[in-house]
Amino acid sequence: MSVLRFDNVSKQYPGGHVALADVSFEVQPGEMLFVTGHSGAGKSTLLKLIHLSERPSRGAVLFGERNLRKVRRGRVPLHRREVGVVFQDHRLLTDRSVYDNVALPLILRGMRRGEIGKRVRSVLDKLGLSERERALPTQLSAGEQQRVGIARAVVAEPALLVADEPTGNLDPTLSAEIMALFASLPERGTSVLVASHDLGLVKRMKKRVLVLDHGQLADDIAPEDLADA
Amino acid sequence: MPEALDGAAVRRPARPHGRIGTWFDHHLYSFVASLGRVARRPWSTALTIGVMAVALALPIGLWLAMANVARFSGDVQRAREISVFLKTDVDAAGAQVLARTLRARPDIGGVQLRTPAQGLAELRANGLGAAIDAVGADDNPLPSVLVVTPRGDEALLAASLQALPEADLVQHDALWRQRLDGWLRFGMRVALVLGALLGLGALLVVGNTVRLDIQSRREEIGVLQHLGATDGFIRRPFLYLGLWYGLASGALAIALLTFAANALDAPLAELAASYGSRFMLQGLDVVAAVAVVAGAALLGWLGAGLVAGHYLRQTRPTET
Repeated sequence: MSVLRFDNVSKQYPGGHVALADVSFEVQPGEMLFVTGHSGAGKSTLLKLIHLSERPSRGAVLFGERNLRKVRRGRVPLHRREVGVVFQDHRLLTDRSVYDNVALPLILRGMRRGEIGKRVRSVLDKLGLSERERALPTQLSAGEQQRVGIARAVVAEPALLVADEPTGNLDPTLSAEIMALFASLPERGTSVLVASHDLGLVKRMKKRVLVLDHGQLADDIAPEDLADA
Repeated sequence: MPEALDGAAVRRPARPHGRIGTWFDHHLYSFVASLGRVARRPWSTALTIGVMAVALALPIGLWLAMANVARFSGDVQRAREISVFLKTDVDAAGAQVLARTLRARPDIGGVQLRTPAQGLAELRANGLGAAIDAVGADDNPLPSVLVVTPRGDEALLAASLQALPEADLVQHDALWRQRLDGWLRFGMRVALVLGALLGLGALLVVGNTVRLDIQSRREEIGVLQHLGATDGFIRRPFLYLGLWYGLASGALAIALLTFAANALDAPLAELAASYGSRFMLQGLDVVAAVAVVAGAALLGWLGAGLVAGHYLRQTRPTET
């Protein structure tokens, strides 16, 4: 069973702008893939549909067996707890420590404090942030802040992690470092969907790439075909 | 167990503990977060609490003042005798007979006869002896007076006494008491209206403070919503914030009223003593004080809840 499936999904905003048109694709468990395209191609809308910030106008978005179109408003938070999100600007809570930021998804899930401590420290250790546990986000470098954002997104071990231009504000070295982190997540069973317009970076990762163009899925390139793309 | 959605994708790894444990943890989180917000902005917090406290203290103070006046007028009303001045041709025996007749009536609690001689003696006792001697007291001009204590409607009784053939003049202070009662009722109503208006003001003060807090935390709220926080989780720290404002302002309002009462007590007691009264100001009792603090806390909670709820309704995820 796929983690995520788009079945002929279209999204038209009030005012008539068509952001996505008849898009279909599947994401398998433990798969990492990129969504790329020019600005306004529909990448952000696609992520919003997964995260239930928007609903499709037509078609179905399936998360496992769950049809996201049918998730009631009051249940949206419960869905969001099962999808990790990494933002371009990482959106950390600046008045909370690194530990508190990373612990938030677990607090929301109602985990025991002891278990939260173990999980948070384990993730911080894996992402090389153990020494920065008590630091405030403003005391961190841009790369460290983005790593904290990733730690927060993966600490609850979601089935799917979506990242919206996660390296947009980082230099090439840090971008490569962050991408390597994403690439390691599928080994732990988390599927990863990264939206990026950085074609060079996308090609270097040698992963499946969905190409959006004016809201349409223009191409679905397998890793082995990337060199020819 | 905490809620979960059906048909989840492949993994559901984070193991939550019981519903009560989660509820407790979430409240503890909100409790600590709200205290942190209060502590981070001491001046703003102090101003909000101060404004709320004054808004609460004003109507409560007015209500207390009215209650004290009512208590004082109650004391006065206990001595509510009606004086019936008899015609001068009614002699002492006739007055005695009339007094006995009146005592038998069910609307009369008691009748005391003051003879002309007693009246004269009273005047002499009040230092008017020389004046009486000067005009000559051989022919006592004073009438017999019946001092009637009513049992029931005084005005009705006064009217019926006036109708007695032996009565020359009936002196009854009903009018000023009716006016005083009217003023007291009006004062109480003013206190109620002021209480409602200033209570609404306190609600708006908390609401506005929480609104500003929400505005400064819009990004944080957005992040929490993205991470899967429910409206309740996001609203809770603001509710606690409103509760702290309410509790503190209620306590401060009582402190202000106590201070005011202490400042007024001594001069008022002195004034009352000059009229031969032992009247003392009465403040809020413990039950009323607790009710004020609880009411203020409720106002704070409500104001915060209304504003936070309004904001969350505006930022809710899309409809199905």
